[in-house]
Amino acid sequence: MTITRWIPRSSLLGFQNEVDRLMDSVFGTEPETADECLICPSVDIEEYDKYFLLHFELPGINKKDVTINVKDNILTVEGEKKAGKKSDSDKYHLSERVYGKFRRNFRLPETVDTENIEAEYVDGVLNLTVPKLAEALPKQIEIKVK
Amino acid sequence: MAITRWTPRSMLGFRNEFDRLFDSFFNPTEEEETFLAAFSPAVDIEERDKDYLVTAELPGIKKEDIKMNIKDNLLTISGEKKQEKKTDKNNYHRTERIYGSFQRSFRLPDYADQENISAEFKDGVLNVTIPKLKESISKSIDIKVK
Repeated sequence: MTITRWIPRSSLLGFQNEVDRLMDSVFGTEPETADECLICPSVDIEEYDKYFLLHFELPGINKKDVTINVKDNILTVEGEKKAGKKSDSDKYHLSERVYGKFRRNFRLPETVDTENIEAEYVDGVLNLTVPKLAEALPKQIEIKVK
Repeated sequence: MAITRWTPRSMLGFRNEFDRLFDSFFNPTEEEETFLAAFSPAVDIEERDKDYLVTAELPGIKKEDIKMNIKDNLLTISGEKKQEKKTDKNNYHRTERIYGSFQRSFRLPDYADQENISAEFKDGVLNVTIPKLKESISKSIDIKVK
């Protein structure tokens, strides 16, 4: 057990969740309890015409230690960041990185195609592509001039 | 210009105060404090028998955007985390990730073998191996009892 950096996440996250609830926005988060989220990854969510892109910062994680699932329109990304092997003789001069379990939940909009979500892990970032359903795409109607 | 998360920077100042109190090896230096960094990557420094392992969490950064140099026994890791944009037409639902420049400096111990430092970047984590000079590696000497 090493002494690790304290991150004022819990109070900030709590506040963020409150704000999300107030706004009741698309991609609002479901509350995460402190024990589920020792290391809450930072997330960016972008919307494009045909899909949403979600980026989770997960440096130094093993791909097989991450699970992604969708249930009742709630997208859950969870897993565990494991510390590398350490011998007892090792001595820490600095220990700022935080290891442990994480979990983040997002409520998906009704208009997405949950069957075709794609994920890739590049340079410590998990990128999820969530396509929109064809019905939800903006339609262009051509007006014929007779 | 997207609205980005506010980070309580004051914590950094506190950490530096704390580091100064201990005045240990790998102590962050004054230079770090004066540098206007957007964020400060989390770093672990592990001492092993024959080397030091410095690991820095840099998710979503391109290898070519990371710079490392040693000057006057000071190891500096710096660079820039660039925000990728596919189009200008995107719409952000959430922006928790922090982009911009970063820099961290560490004073190397005298017995670090500066000529043979190696680094690799994998899964968003920069791993820097700093070997110890041979003379400094503890030798076990058997003393014969006559």
